[in-house]
Amino acid sequence: MMMTVQSSNHATVKERPVTTLEQQKTKPEGRKDPWGPLLEKVGKTQDRAAYHSLFEHFAPQIKYYAISNGMANHAEELVQEVFISIWRRSCLYDWRKAAASTWIFTIARNQRIDMLRKMQRSSAEMAIETEDLWQIPGDNEDEPVTSLHRLMSERRIRESLSLLPEEQITVIAKVYMEHKSHQMVADELQIPLGTVKSRVRLALNKLKVILQDQNV
Amino acid sequence: MTRHHPDSLTLMEFSAGNLSEPHALCIRLHLDQCSHCRSRVETLDSLGAVMMDQQPKVSVADTSFEQLLARIDSAPVEQPTPVARTPRLSPLQKLLGDDINDLPWKRQLGDVSVLDITEKFPGQSERVVLQKLVAGGKAPAHTHRGSETTIVLQGAFADQKGVFNQWDFVVLNEQDEHKPVAVGCEDCITLSVLSAPLKLTGTFTRMLNPFIR
Repeated sequence: MMMTVQSSNHATVKERPVTTLEQQKTKPEGRKDPWGPLLEKVGKTQDRAAYHSLFEHFAPQIKYYAISNGMANHAEELVQEVFISIWRRSCLYDWRKAAASTWIFTIARNQRIDMLRKMQRSSAEMAIETEDLWQIPGDNEDEPVTSLHRLMSERRIRESLSLLPEEQITVIAKVYMEHKSHQMVADELQIPLGTVKSRVRLALNKLKVILQDQNV
Repeated sequence: MTRHHPDSLTLMEFSAGNLSEPHALCIRLHLDQCSHCRSRVETLDSLGAVMMDQQPKVSVADTSFEQLLARIDSAPVEQPTPVARTPRLSPLQKLLGDDINDLPWKRQLGDVSVLDITEKFPGQSERVVLQKLVAGGKAPAHTHRGSETTIVLQGAFADQKGVFNQWDFVVLNEQDEHKPVAVGCEDCITLSVLSAPLKLTGTFTRMLNPFIR
């Protein structure tokens, strides 16, 4: 049965008229995650060229992330820790569970949290590890695969973000990049907390990230 | 399946890594049991990745990559070897052991017992308490100062807003006066993060006021 299905699909692709292919090409690029295969190479064969490409692309992002989070003095250190973690964990990376950039974002976030926690206390005081609270996608083996949803959502977010008003993006950027609570963002921009929250909700609705705050 | 979920703004602060540890714990415990909210958080994590990508970039030190390789070469244990994925202990087990019924509970008013676990979260400004209401028992009416984030760890309770089952998530504030009743045949145990102590509203119970020190 499987064989039949596969070969007929294959035939359809081959027979598809050129115009259809052209139309598909006009859709924004991103059907495929360019970084996923590199991450898999690192995981499977410890490919250093692939690792270097990932470093070239993501290290400057992570360094900015550290600086904007008020860790300018530890920015290089955070980059190092994140990439060591990427190297060690790459064998667990599963493209079906997360786009590579999402996976790397969660590692950067966790290393930032971890570094701050360790500065504040001794490890003996930490009954719960950072990753007990903030998980990396794919760590939980039992988690069902939701690949289509994931890859689509990252592409959709990228596309929709460019359509959002600046004021909404600013608020989201402060939450993600500057480690600020909604209240702190309100204080800084000197606008009411309610305004901050409504900007975030508007943005999330437009991004179709979250529609269901009601009980389900 | 839980029915009361964290709102998207709270999940966003979780995804951004901005919540305090006790709050993050409440969210984690809910996520572990709620695929709906897990998928919301996954999407928010992707938003984080896109935000990071669209922000300015800062060049790393010239020697940064070499340092990384040197570190990898000097520590063979850091080679990517498949980490054995043993079933991980839930953060709750790590924190409280296997049986939350068997803890040094402090009996308060009639049906209520409490256990303050704030000291397990050093450096936090919030109070973290477990509360237990015996099956069928009633808690005295009370409001909340500031906000109280609660997750149900066992059993269920009901108040005028509805029934809250295991792993349901609820945030109460100054406006919410409630008088919870444990429903079902199990004791109801909740984990609450309090930004300020609760305030009892009954005239008699105010004197006993177990939650205000």
